[in-house]
Amino acid sequence: MPLLEVTDLIAGYGRVEVISKISFSIEAGKSVGIVGPNGVGKSTLLQAIAGGISPSGGSIKLDGVDIKGKKPEDIVRLGLSLVPEGRQIFSGLSVKENLALGLTGRKDKKGSVEAILKMKELFPVLSTHENHQAGMLSGGQQQQLAIARALISEPKVLLLDEPSLGLAPTVIDDVFDRLKQIIALGTAVVIVEQRANLVTTFAEETLVIRDGHVQSRLTPADAANLASLEKSYFGAGE
Amino acid sequence: MIQSILDAISLGGLYALAALGLGLVFGVMRLVNFAHGELITIAAYMLVVTVNLPLIISLLLTVLVTAAVAFLMELTIYRRLRGVNPAIMLIASFGLSTVLQRVYELIFGALPKSAVVAPFLNGAFKFAGLSITISSVITIVLTVVILLAMGYLVEKTSLGLQLRAAAADFRTARLLGVRSNRLISAAFVLSGVLATCVAFILVVENPEVNPYYGVNITILALVGIVIGGISSLRGAALGGFVVGVILSALNTLLGNGRVYAYSWLFLLVLIILLVRPGGFLSKGSELERV
Ligand SMILES: Nc1ncnc2c1ncn2[C@@H]1O[C@H](COP(=O)(O)OP(=O)(O)O)[C@@H](O)[C@H]1O
Ligand SMILES: [Mg+2]
Repeated sequence: MPLLEVTDLIAGYGRVEVISKISFSIEAGKSVGIVGPNGVGKSTLLQAIAGGISPSGGSIKLDGVDIKGKKPEDIVRLGLSLVPEGRQIFSGLSVKENLALGLTGRKDKKGSVEAILKMKELFPVLSTHENHQAGMLSGGQQQQLAIARALISEPKVLLLDEPSLGLAPTVIDDVFDRLKQIIALGTAVVIVEQRANLVTTFAEETLVIRDGHVQSRLTPADAANLASLEKSYFGAGE
Repeated sequence: MIQSILDAISLGGLYALAALGLGLVFGVMRLVNFAHGELITIAAYMLVVTVNLPLIISLLLTVLVTAAVAFLMELTIYRRLRGVNPAIMLIASFGLSTVLQRVYELIFGALPKSAVVAPFLNGAFKFAGLSITISSVITIVLTVVILLAMGYLVEKTSLGLQLRAAAADFRTARLLGVRSNRLISAAFVLSGVLATCVAFILVVENPEVNPYYGVNITILALVGIVIGGISSLRGAALGGFVVGVILSALNTLLGNGRVYAYSWLFLLVLIILLVRPGGFLSKGSELERV
């Protein structure tokens, strides 16, 4: 049984429907990529799954439990975390406080100390800077903090919205290496990316979203001829 | 002279507490809760009507009732309006404030209710040859203790961390697991507790409680919040303090001209806002959130 199963999901803002009938599923220890032109609704899709906005149709099952329409604070407790677009770390709070906020999403408070230690091990740079204001960190460090903060609740499924945004290429490689480690530990990871090439190579399956629905599904083998594909989904005149 | 300085500091502290109560709620809801004044009023009424009970019991009853009113105003009114246009919330809070004033009038009557609360705080003592009122000293001590306790709560506890995070970015805080309903309820309850502290200090000096008792201080605390910077609790408290000090100083300096104290205060506020539009603690970036 898949860990996360999204079926015919419909979501938008007010009466405007942004995504219509998107379906995909993911199993433990696997990754799924999501690509598509700017403004197509990738962030909307992740927000609808994580409870940031309320979907108007379809179903979302997390480990067999229906989470559609639940509040974000309840969904995180059921085991799904979102690293939102632009990282959204609390820049006025310290690194330590940002991590501590991740603890609020844990189902039970036992193991909190261990969870923080584990993250500091996985992201050593965070423990070096733990008393600094998070806003003082570099872009790459902030992304690591955002990921670590989302992982502290020990999610079964981790959603990331454009983790490479604004990062230098070597830093991006570093972030994706971390993601590989996290997947190897059994977490299911969904990655929204502008860089189609990067994520198509990385993920077992990558959905290409166009006009609010899944236009095609790619595998790493398709990464080689992505240039022509890119033309097809970014399309002429867009 | 010393008495004037003590009066200024104690009035400043009082306004800081009122501003803090408003700031807590604003932080989590982006709501300027005009009805905060009515929390102060109900607390003052409670202190007056329970005056025959031992002070500690009277205070406990007052804090319970005031916190309950704060909790209920969120649960029954503001919760339903969450996410609507801020202007609508503002009007709702005006409306609620007026309705509560009418309710108080029905329950307690339009004429002031009065009683001597904590009589041991009235009077003066001699210090280095000067006569100093007990209430000004007690007010300062009480304010410092409450501000320190609030500082601890906000800076050092998990609830405080969640309040700060929610004030900065509620969406992200919720994604991390911060329970929105509980946190907002907690902010309202805390604002009720602060309103009780304010009411206690006010009632000791002025025991004539009428349905509009809390209005004045709330408006002045709002002025303080605006000049201190609306997006931080520290700024709100500091702004409240400054308004209290200025007002007290104007009252002393203007002598018979003190009827113009408010005009001078608002002129000063205008000047401060022209120089620092985001309040004195603003770093420019804080403006965009408002
Ligand atoms: N909060 C919002 N309110 C209204 N419309 C929005 C909101 N956020 C995004 N949109 C619109 O929804 C569409 C999809 O946006 P988004 O999901 O952010 O796209 P992507 O992440 O793929 O770039 C866009 O047309 C955008 O303008
Ligand atoms: Mg996006």
